[in-house]
Parts: sequence; C-alpha cells; structure tokens
Amino acid sequence: MKKKFIIILILFMFCIGNVNASTFTYDRNTLSNYGVNKKWKVTDDNLYNILNTPAVNADDKVYDFADILTQEEEKKVYTLTKEFLEETGMELIILTINSSYTYDSFNEDIASDFYDYNDFGIDIEHYSGVLLLRNAYSLDPYYNLYMFGEAQLYYSVERADDILDYIYNDFHSGNYYSGLEKLNSELIRYYKKGYAPEYKYNYIDANGKLKEKYHAPWGVALIISGIATSIIMIILIGNNKMIKKEYKASEYLIKDSVSYTRKEDRFITSHTSSYTSSSSSGGHSSGGSRSGSSGGGHSSGSGRHG
Amino acid sequence: MSERKKQRKEKALDNKCPSCGAPIKFNPTAGKWKCEYCESEFTLEEMQKHNNASNVKNNENGEASKIEEIDDTVYVSYKCQNCGAEIVADEQTAATFCVYCGNTAILKNKLSGEFKPNLIIPFKTEKEHAIKAFENVSKGRPFVPKDFNNKNNIEKIKGVYIPFWLYDVGVAGDVDCDAKRVTSWSRGDTHYTKTDIYKIFRSGSMKFAKIPVDGSTRFDNDIMNSIEPFNYEEMIQYNHAYLSGFFAEKYDVDSEGAFKDAQDRALESGKDIMVNSSPGYSGKLVTNNTLVPTLENKYYALLPVWMVNVKYKDKMYIFAMNGQTGEFIGDIPLDKKKAILWGILIFVGIMLAIILISLIMFYAR
Repeated sequence: MKKKFIIILILFMFCIGNVNASTFTYDRNTLSNYGVNKKWKVTDDNLYNILNTPAVNADDKVYDFADILTQEEEKKVYTLTKEFLEETGMELIILTINSSYTYDSFNEDIASDFYDYNDFGIDIEHYSGVLLLRNAYSLDPYYNLYMFGEAQLYYSVERADDILDYIYNDFHSGNYYSGLEKLNSELIRYYKKGYAPEYKYNYIDANGKLKEKYHAPWGVALIISGIATSIIMIILIGNNKMIKKEYKASEYLIKDSVSYTRKEDRFITSHTSSYTSSSSSGGHSSGGSRSGSSGGGHSSGSGRHG
Repeated sequence: MSERKKQRKEKALDNKCPSCGAPIKFNPTAGKWKCEYCESEFTLEEMQKHNNASNVKNNENGEASKIEEIDDTVYVSYKCQNCGAEIVADEQTAATFCVYCGNTAILKNKLSGEFKPNLIIPFKTEKEHAIKAFENVSKGRPFVPKDFNNKNNIEKIKGVYIPFWLYDVGVAGDVDCDAKRVTSWSRGDTHYTKTDIYKIFRSGSMKFAKIPVDGSTRFDNDIMNSIEPFNYEEMIQYNHAYLSGFFAEKYDVDSEGAFKDAQDRALESGKDIMVNSSPGYSGKLVTNNTLVPTLENKYYALLPVWMVNVKYKDKMYIFAMNGQTGEFIGDIPLDKKKAILWGILIFVGIMLAIILISLIMFYAR
C-alpha cells in the first residue's frame, strides 16, 4: 500500500499538469517483470528505482512531462527522432521533467533509469540511443545529453558539450523546438563523423558500458626500445674498448710541491634574473561513463544550467 | 732478394743456478730466483754473490753475427751459452729465450752503457694471472669473437720488460681564467638566479715525479698509458738478474724525444690544478696560460708488462697487463654478427617488456 502511494506520488510529480499521450504511464506492478524487458535483472537493489521510474510507451520517443512543448512541437520533435533513428540506427529520446533537485546527479539518475527501464533501443545492439533530459525546474533549469550503448562511442563528452553549448541559447530562452532541431542535426552530423577520436580504442561491453580496448603502445615502445637499445649497445661495445689516451699526470703530482705566489679571485660583476611560476590552475567540469542502477552503462555531457 | 751480413761480436748472458748450474728464473710471486732442477731458492743478495746474478764468465766467448735485411730491419744472432744453438733477435730485443733449450739470453750490450737502465720494477704477477685475465676477457663482454681468447692465443702471452723514460717535471707560470658563481633562491612564486662573474688569477709552481713515457716505438703509447699507474714504491735499482724468465726491450726513442709526452701531461694537469684551486666556481674559461715545464730529472727504467698479440681477421690486437698491479688492457675485436644479434634481441626484449608492462597496467586498472 505504501509502495503504491510512493509510485503514485512520483508519477504525479512527472505528470503534473500533463494529459498528453506522450506522458501516459503504465503501472509497473501490472506489467510482466515490472515492465523491464531488457536484460537487466530485477533485484532487491534496483526494484525501488524501477518502480519509481515511469513505464512509458517506448514508441512515443518524446515525453514532455514538464509540458514545455506544444502538441504541434511534440509531433515535429517526434519526426526528428524518427529521422535520427533512420540516419543512425539509434534512438533519440526527449524527456522533460519539472522536479526540484540539489545535485546534477539527480537528473542523471532520472535519465538513465528512464532509458534503462523502458524499451528504448530494445531491438538495437547494446540498446543504443541518446536521451535529452530537460529539467524545467524554475529555480535551476537544467538540461543534458545522456548516451547509451553505441551512442557513447559517437558522442564523447567533448562532442556532447559542443552540442549542449550550441543549443544553450534556444533552451535558455525557451525556444525548445529550435534547440531540439539543432540538437538532431548536430547529433546526425557527429554520427556521420564516426566514433569520437578519443574513443578510437574503446568498445561497448555486453552491459552497454564504455570500455577501453587494450591498445599496445607500439609507437612509444619503438622509440623507447630504440633509445634504450642504442644506449645499451654503446655501453656493451664500449666495454670492448679498454685503451684510453692519457692526457694528464695528476697521479704523479708531488702534493706538497704546489705553491702559489698569487692567488686572487677578483669580483667583476653580478646580474640577477627571475621568473614567476603560476601555482594556480583552472578547473572544469566533465562528464564520463557511469553505471546506472540497472548495471547498464551510459555516458553524459557535462550538463548545462539555464 | 739481396741481403748483406755483418759479423759483430756480441755477448749473451744467462742466469744460472749457483748450486747446480742449470738455467734459473725469477719467481714473481716469491720475489726470488728458483731453480726448477735442484729446487734451490736465492735472494738478490745471494745471486749477487755469484757474479752479480749472471754467469758472465760462461758467456765471454759468445759470438754473434749481425744481419741487415733489405727492409732495414736488423737482426742479430747470438750463440746460446746453454746449448750452443743460434738465437736470433732484432736490435731492440734486450732479453729473449733460446728456442731449443728455453734458456734466457740477456743481451748485455743492449743493457749497458747508454742503454743501461737505472731502475726496474720486477714482475709481481705470474703468467697464470695474465692467462686468467685474458681468459676472463669475454666476461661481461658479449661481443668478443668466439675463438678470440682460445688456448692458442693464450699460449702467446709473454712477460716483457718495457723500456720507459720516467721524468721529474716542474711546472711554473700563470693561469688566469673567467669563472662564475651561480646562486638560486625562491620567494613565493618568483625564482631568482644570481650570477657573479669573477676573474681568477693564479701564479705558482708544482712538481711531478716520474711521469712515465714508453721508450719503445714497438709498443703503442696509449696501451702503455692505459696500464698505468705502476707502484713506484717497489721500484729498485736495475739488476739484470730480474730479466731471467722474461723478454726485455731496449729503448729506441731517446729521452728528448719522449719528454714531449711527459711535459704535455704535466702542463695539462698543472693547468687543471691551478684552475680548480678555488672550489665553488662554474663555467671556467682559461684566458691566459703561461705555464712552462722544466725537466728536473730523468730515469731509464724497465717496467713489467704481460703482452699478447692476437691476430683476428688480418688485424693484430695487442693486450697488455701491468706485471705489477695486474691492470689488464686492450681493445677487443667486435664480433659484428653477435653485436647485430644482441642488438635485435635487446630491442625486441625491451619492446616486449614495454608491451607486457602496458598490458599488465591496463588489466590492473
């Protein structure tokens, strides 16, 4: 009874003021395996998160719980997601909420659970897709991109941040459709560029986590081996040369025979130079690859407030 | 081939056991003369009681013929006083062996008059010591050719008294140089470097004792330099009894000709000593050097060296071991195939090690 109350409360938070088809949610308790059709196992550890995650129709793609899009815009955005799917073979999910939060990780948890515990990317390898979350919380509006499956390889933190910056003005001014249109075109543009350069040696594991492939450092090994071999060979070959020319006779010096009639150290001039080193360093925020409560992996941009 | 021969009366000495008259050799380890036949041992004093450690009387009738060949190399033949066989030696040889009976032949005219050495350091290391040093030459040296230090080459090792000029040299004059003292410190994030420039003036003198210079053109000066130093505390007045059992050479570079090497070394060290007489300076640059050498004394000495000449791929390699201190020196030929193989193995080994380490580090993360 208590559980049901919590679910209803959470759904109320998501659905407040919304009656659109895109915000229709199912009662997970009535669904097989709580509506989790992906390979994640439902355990005591993640059941609470699953039950707190709205179960939606994965075909809708646009979930405007914050009601920041008009119905007309929702339809157009849906078209954008279809275009993205056709171009990339990956999902594009738009999720808007209006929830108070203290830490950005709250938004990340909402986004990752929403993607993982609904049927997004269910027929796509590694459940690949991109989710844009807009938290329209009036005191601190926030938006970020979350990447799942293969999308992590295409949309690195750098690329995601570029896109987030690109749509900032539109989102900040509430011109969401324009921002989402730009988002879609940028996502497709980066997709066509291929994997992000920094993920050249990465792959997605069975749980959708971004993993680094072992990449033998041949170039470095070649240079170090070349230098080390040269030094060792010079020393070893030098061992074969024992004959040395003697230019000095210091060992034959009669030590107490050294006498000076003049021993003067005359100071001529002096100069002082200086330089200043900076001990402070600038900071920056960055995203990265993380695991959600499902155990599945995802990555995100750095997020933007505004 | 035309050749002309000159007859000349020469004397060959040998050292004979005062007890039994058999040839006797100097034993470097014992520092005594030991007869291999009657096993008698004699000190220098005891040998001197018997014709000053030589059997001059037995050699007085020895005759030699001098043979000058067309290539200007002069060979002298002597009659062995032990077996009567002919001993042929070149003009520089002062002590050799009879190839038939093994008796030492000390060629007195090469060690008398202007060629009489003042000093000698007797051999202190045995032939076995030199053989072991040569056998061990490949240890830690992977590029030594396989057959380089084999038995055939080891048997060629011989003990030779090399003629050396020893010079007492005085050095006096002025040395001036520019120098700097650099101090660094930090205050907060600012780092300071202070450079003080000085002019250093030195005038003075010093003395060097017995700088050795090889007096034979047959031995490479660099090799002879490389086996230095000899311990002069064991240097004694020359006595030809110490030559028994060893080869010896006479000088063919006179004292004036050899002095240049000694004065160059003395001047170089003199300059260093003056320049470094005040510590704490860096970047020293000599601007004036008027040091002049003065020859104060010279000595003609025979110093003990174990020598072996090894022919490898048509090139002679000379190895020398200080017969007193055991310092072993020589340039060892390089087995290029071994060197290339080692180079490849080292390169591949390091490469694999780096890859392995990177692999371990990758999976240890």
